[in-house]
Amino acid sequence: MGRPGLNRRQLLAGIGGLTVAGSFGFAALGTGADALASSASTRVRYWNLFSGGDGYNMIAMLDAFRKEHPGIDVKDSTLQWGSPFYTKLAMAAAGNRAPDLGVMHLGRVTGFSPGRLLDPWDVGLLAKYGVKEADFNPALWKRAVIDGKLYALPLDIHVQLCFYRKDVLKKTGLIGDDGRLVPVTSTDGWFDMLKEAKKATRKGLQTIGLWVNDQNFQWWFFVAFYTQLGGTWFNADNTEVTFDTDKATQVLEFLRQHVADGYANPGMGSVGAEQFVNGTPFTWEGNWSVPVFSGAKLEYGATPLPPVFGKQATHAESHSFVLPHQAGRGGATNEGAHQLAAYVVKHARQWAAGGHIPAYTPTLSTAAYKKLSPQNEYVSAMDHQANEPKVWFAGSTGILAQRVGPIVVSSTLGSARPQAVARRMKGALTQLLAMKNPMDGKTAAQGGAAA
Amino acid sequence: MTTSAETVIAPPRAQAAAAGAATVGRKQGFQHGGWFVAPFLALFALFVIWPLLRGIYLSFTDANISGDSAGFIGFDNYREALHDPLMWDSLGHSAFFTLLVVPCITVLAFLLAMLAHHIERGTWLWRLCFFLPFLLPSTVAGNLWQWLFNPGTGMVNHVFGIDTPWLTDKSYAMLAVVITTLWWTVGFSFLLYLAALQGIPGHLYEAAKLDGANAWHRMVHITLPMLRNITGLVIALQILASLQVFDQAVVMQDFGPGPEESTRTFVQFTLEQGFTSYRVGYASAISIIFFVIIAAVALARMWLLRNREEGAR
Repeated sequence: MGRPGLNRRQLLAGIGGLTVAGSFGFAALGTGADALASSASTRVRYWNLFSGGDGYNMIAMLDAFRKEHPGIDVKDSTLQWGSPFYTKLAMAAAGNRAPDLGVMHLGRVTGFSPGRLLDPWDVGLLAKYGVKEADFNPALWKRAVIDGKLYALPLDIHVQLCFYRKDVLKKTGLIGDDGRLVPVTSTDGWFDMLKEAKKATRKGLQTIGLWVNDQNFQWWFFVAFYTQLGGTWFNADNTEVTFDTDKATQVLEFLRQHVADGYANPGMGSVGAEQFVNGTPFTWEGNWSVPVFSGAKLEYGATPLPPVFGKQATHAESHSFVLPHQAGRGGATNEGAHQLAAYVVKHARQWAAGGHIPAYTPTLSTAAYKKLSPQNEYVSAMDHQANEPKVWFAGSTGILAQRVGPIVVSSTLGSARPQAVARRMKGALTQLLAMKNPMDGKTAAQGGAAA
Repeated sequence: MTTSAETVIAPPRAQAAAAGAATVGRKQGFQHGGWFVAPFLALFALFVIWPLLRGIYLSFTDANISGDSAGFIGFDNYREALHDPLMWDSLGHSAFFTLLVVPCITVLAFLLAMLAHHIERGTWLWRLCFFLPFLLPSTVAGNLWQWLFNPGTGMVNHVFGIDTPWLTDKSYAMLAVVITTLWWTVGFSFLLYLAALQGIPGHLYEAAKLDGANAWHRMVHITLPMLRNITGLVIALQILASLQVFDQAVVMQDFGPGPEESTRTFVQFTLEQGFTSYRVGYASAISIIFFVIIAAVALARMWLLRNREEGAR
């Protein structure tokens, strides 16, 4: 075939193609064009997973930062929460197209190849912008340190809470003189409370919503109560499973009883929050439901999950800032990323409106924060966090939750016996401990994740 | 590839000349035809052949998602997959789904086609109603039925006055996906049947009527035998499509594995291994295993069909 003569139709097709190609080109250049358009000298690309109310609060904080620092152009992108976010972040870091700043759940950092997919924070730079270790809960800070380096800068902790309707429970005597739920310290005490509450519950509503069919929530609740019993997961070197099936069975039976005794309706597992708005006296939810319930103008309170096994502990995860790996990280952009993260961490008062507990402790003692209700009722959760073990397969929506969560659900719903489920959990933990992290080919024991 | 020279029936006078020209024509034909096919072949090679070969290669490595150089580990992934209870569970779920969907959809499509075929007035409306859901994207169909099946507010329980936890109980969750799929995809098979029904010559029915055959006899002895081939096609297409069930199942369960992992399909399992656990090598091995299973099903069907045809002769 020789060279084609160019006729009118081909010419038009060619122009059309060029137009399409051009638009792609400009799409790719878009970010650059933005930077050119603003007079900023430094551009910080920031990926996060905050949507809804959290997204709104984050954007408000970013706008405040932009106003104060016109020299830094913040280019923020919001991606879908959960597995897809981590997949994209990993691939971007691997392909050297990583953003300058990212957000991760702290529990996922260990499994994210710190040092290869994540760059460590420059603690000196953070201090320059007013953020130092002394301003954080020591246990929280320690979780962010891997191989002696800080890989995550905690922005908050978010915890599982026991929400209760003050107006519904008023007639029951379960609300104390201080207007808060009377404390509970045993499982029997807790079920007595539910029994009372049930009498005050309107027909057609369950007494408590606790996500009985949800693998994530059931797992988070399990972690909380298992920690209350002083249960452990692995030995210090991560070579041995120390999971206690007897303690696990106790927790599983406790969760199961809510369904067995008719306080939680399996058919209403996922509509706990809606039912709470309609008058269900109790619901266990993440603190991110605070803006929802406050927005609905409910008369409600929120405490950490009840210490039914005698010790305070409620499940906590943490949103933290990370530096996705860049081959040539440094210079003004990197400093801008440090500056932005430090600013948001220090100005998290707005963030607390979303129900999260700011990680930067000076915020917690401000008068403005102390006035926030119900936040002031559960701020103590900062000091008794129940976390997943610090291993590569743990963390929000990670492999551990995916593998063990559904097993917990089967016990709560009553299709498997608690003892058998506890044994299956131990089996899964044993399997995971022997498994190699696909990111670096190391098992948990070889991973050197010890702080 | 047949060329124009072979397929054109030339008039007798031209045949002798054509015999000489055939070789030339074939060559030219390939040249032109080749260029026409080239864009397709290029894309096919780029997006099907190359990924397939790459997938086969990756299945023998411990590649992760970061694209780092992966180590060759022989058949380890395959060995692990064959001993992985989660893989067998998800394969079971896909197979169970297929066993339910294929007969239901075949019978339903046939009945709807008979209905639409025999209705005298407003035929277009019936056809449109039965086919319309098929035009919806899977996410729309999945979300729609997620609402309909919702225990508290859904229409399904409300209409039938029942209290079935469709999406949250492992006994019903896969059934809900099956019902959604029936509603969503029956239109395609319905259309195939309708076209086939319209292709049955009317004189067969007339002759049968003259011989005193009633409607039942006419259906059993004329309609069904005449539709045998189309039924074979519908079943085959449905089996291959149903084994690959994925999107409506994950949409209805918000991308989770369903109550007590009862709706995790084989494709979903592969996706989780690759993009949640970051085990690209392992996920590739599972994909290849799946490819072999599907190919085996398709070949088995061809073999059965050939045997039946030979038996019929």
